Amino acid sequence: MREVRIILAIARHDFSYFFRTKWLMAILLSLSLSDMLVVALVYKRMMTFDYFSYFVPAVVVMGLFAASMDTGRRIWLALREGVIQYELSLPVSTQGLVIAYLLAGGAAALVYASSLMAIALIVLPAGAIWSALLLLPFLFVLAMGLAGIAATLAGVASTHGEFFFAFQNIVQVTMLTLSTVYYPIDVVQKFLPPPLVTVVAANPLSLAAKALRQYTFAGTPIEPDFLARILLASVPFAIVGALAYFGALRKLQIKGKL
Amino acid sequence: MSNILRLIWFDLKPELKPPVWIIMEWSVFLVQVGVYGAMISQLVTGIGNYSQFFAVGLVIMITFDLGSHIGRHFVEHAHEGRLPYLLSLPISRSKLFLTIALQGGTELALMLAVPLTVTLLIIGNLTWVSVVACVLALFLLGFGVAGLMLALSFIAFKSSDLYTAIVTGLSTIIIRFSTVLYPFIFLPPQYATAAAFSPLTYGSDLIRFFLGFDPSILLNPYYAVSVVAALAVSTLGLGLFLVQRLVEGVKSA
Repeated sequence: MREVRIILAIARHDFSYFFRTKWLMAILLSLSLSDMLVVALVYKRMMTFDYFSYFVPAVVVMGLFAASMDTGRRIWLALREGVIQYELSLPVSTQGLVIAYLLAGGAAALVYASSLMAIALIVLPAGAIWSALLLLPFLFVLAMGLAGIAATLAGVASTHGEFFFAFQNIVQVTMLTLSTVYYPIDVVQKFLPPPLVTVVAANPLSLAAKALRQYTFAGTPIEPDFLARILLASVPFAIVGALAYFGALRKLQIKGKL
Repeated sequence: MSNILRLIWFDLKPELKPPVWIIMEWSVFLVQVGVYGAMISQLVTGIGNYSQFFAVGLVIMITFDLGSHIGRHFVEHAHEGRLPYLLSLPISRSKLFLTIALQGGTELALMLAVPLTVTLLIIGNLTWVSVVACVLALFLLGFGVAGLMLALSFIAFKSSDLYTAIVTGLSTIIIRFSTVLYPFIFLPPQYATAAAFSPLTYGSDLIRFFLGFDPSILLNPYYAVSVVAALAVSTLGLGLFLVQRLVEGVKSA
């Protein structure tokens, strides 16, 4: 019970650090709001289909993704600046520390995405607002999975200076481009080979964007199978990320450095 | 001149050994043009071959990012104590400023090597005059943006965090409220007013004009040349003034 309290305290500290980073908030908010209120509106005028309705839910998912990925930056900073040495000296297990970071990453991303969702619900009529609330726990698991990807990158790049940001950028661009966040699956099917179309369809970002579009904004009744698919696509990332970060911490404990 | 070249190499060396950022920028560009650009252009019906329009937009965004990176780099140097060291070197302030500008130009050339070549190949059917004019306009725009960020650097001497927040927020807004990603004629009236004040609107339309895009979707090239040249001259002049007057005695963090 005591360990749980410490895990929550570390998670709370990391969570608040995310929202206290002014430049990060400036980037995330300016990107998300301008994507939603400028890019989506202008593209709608250049297309024959309603791109605004298509893209606004996707901006929520993009916000969730970007905020989750920041977990990696915080882990990388903790490793680089020695904060992790202090955290390892706390009366908490290594697994507990890993869980604290993933929880904080998931929670920060969920709070940020929820605020975007609130704005999205103002600019785009929702079919079923309650569906948005029901989707939140699944988005939280997805955010933890994405934070796991970021943790893996931080573990890999911990000894390579600022390469972490380069890796993060490549992963972000690849995952967003190979998803249905920006374009419908039928456009993807026309353009990409079948194996890549499968990757695009199984991408957790595609699933989350589809869930928001269908259940929250179009008002279609929620299908439990689809929610299970989101969990199935997200949990492996969270596990791999947790193992990678755990491995990095164990190495640090044994060798004293990475 | 050898002092200037030595200083340029001193600053560039960490970025080239290994050139992770340059390779990353090239890879991201290729993925965005090859996949995102190709697919989104199937949805865009307002203009013919949007992927060409988008590729030029990405090149302009790289130029803009690098220009703002140079400004930020300067501020970081001031806070990390590197600037006082550079100011103590036996070279004049104007030469130091020239070094910063030339280093930025070299970095821009390296970053744009692949993206610009690919873009020119995608567009095809170009003359040497149009290619040279396009490269010159890109460098002028890059210098203008770098000068703008340098001019804003006085904020950083009060708070580095605030400077980064303002510059990053401003950068996103300048790009979105401009014609980098979409032609002026498709902007809603309230956004078009804001876009008319963005230097990137004129920079991107000028470059597209040189590359042979349909002039009916672009702004008047004479206005564009005037705005881009005025931006470069005024912000670089302001930057030069700041380097010579305001950075003396700046406290490092």
